[in-house]
Amino acid sequence: MIDLAETKKNMWREVFDSKDLLYCFNCSTCISGCPASNANPPLLIRNLARIVILGLEDELLEEDTPWMCVTCSRCEEMCPMDVKPFELCLAIRQWQSQNDETRIPPSIVEIYSRGYTQAVEKNTEQRKSLGLPEKLPVLTEYPELLEKFQNMLMKTKVVNENDYMFEGE
Amino acid sequence: MKFGLFLGCNTPAIRPDVERAIRLTMPKLGVDLVDLEGYVCCPAFGTFPSTDEDSHLAVSGWNLSLAEQKGLDLLVECGSCYSSLRMGREHIMHDEKKKARVNELLEPVGRSVEGRSQVRHITDVLYNDVGINKISKSICKSLEGLHAVVQYPCHTLFPSEVVGFDSPPARPHILRDLVEALGAEVDNFSREYQCCGGAGGFAHASAAEARGFAKTKLDAIKEETRADFIVVSCITCLMFIDNIQKDLNKENDIYNIPVFDYNQILALCMGFDPKQVAPICTVPRDKITDRF
Repeated sequence: MIDLAETKKNMWREVFDSKDLLYCFNCSTCISGCPASNANPPLLIRNLARIVILGLEDELLEEDTPWMCVTCSRCEEMCPMDVKPFELCLAIRQWQSQNDETRIPPSIVEIYSRGYTQAVEKNTEQRKSLGLPEKLPVLTEYPELLEKFQNMLMKTKVVNENDYMFEGE
Repeated sequence: MKFGLFLGCNTPAIRPDVERAIRLTMPKLGVDLVDLEGYVCCPAFGTFPSTDEDSHLAVSGWNLSLAEQKGLDLLVECGSCYSSLRMGREHIMHDEKKKARVNELLEPVGRSVEGRSQVRHITDVLYNDVGINKISKSICKSLEGLHAVVQYPCHTLFPSEVVGFDSPPARPHILRDLVEALGAEVDNFSREYQCCGGAGGFAHASAAEARGFAKTKLDAIKEETRADFIVVSCITCLMFIDNIQKDLNKENDIYNIPVFDYNQILALCMGFDPKQVAPICTVPRDKITDRF
């Protein structure tokens, strides 16, 4: 049983400071047509909206489902109340990353160290065999620019607050 | 016509034959492509957009400012890159505070974002700037006699006010028209407008369910159409719909519909070498490429 008197009433301002969120009336349009609503456990954006509106902090911290989103944004298009469910989903991920460092995707370290999540700079042989220029003008080809990129990222919120993750990169 | 080519990471790293096809076909249609020195991840939605807006917009701004410096719009094939860049640009352009913050972060690099460069999807440019007639006239071999189905990249449809160029957004037609311009017959099917399900955490963290989701689409294609091949215009759709058929075949070995990116099939019709523009695939493409 949840005691609503004990919940964090203004949590929505911290997570997704948009009054439009409060217009959500649980119609479930965001769920029908959502590929990740088929996931196990299912992504049910409507329920996430309710968790945020009610201020259920512990529940929100434990939710894995926002990370199931395929980012297709169909919900954003179809929501009749302009709640912006996709932006809400990203906002919840951001709030989790900022409140629980284990949520921070390791892929941001890859981007910090070489500019991309994939090893774009290493695929030279295959490129050559296809008649492509062997090397793309990727970030690692320009050490000075890579350093500026890293310096820029180091000034942003989550990278700066978790700088230990990027040491030696 | 000249564009800055934003390749993203999956295309050059995993499917560079798509890159080859783009680099061969677009100039033949009068679209010159310029590389962007030091471009970075779009950023993918599962990266900085999932940690904080500050780094998300800084990385969007990094890429947009490269295009602005060259005075070019960006040309993008990957759906996620397209959507991320469009949304990043939207946030930066419609909020003076965010714009000022991005430009403060870009200042040491000597670049800025003013909004001069647009972000365009490759099918938008093919349809609206090049045009169907010019495409039809550019090919030397047609797909006549073949049936195709198309997979619209969801990231180019929704939210339509930020990313859209097809109309109506829930009933797009541009990719169909582009394939028909090559002589193929494009069949309708009930799940034509369903997302492939290949992006984000779904396919990784809930693999069995994502397989089941893709199966509904492939079954509809098999039961309701005469499709000889599937055409997509997004690197995620391409890799997912191609690779998932192998996974599904472990249970029931019946899925073998070749998948092509639009520029690959266009390149074949223009007479380019299949070994350069379409050799990387999971489901064999021979029954189509042998025609060329």
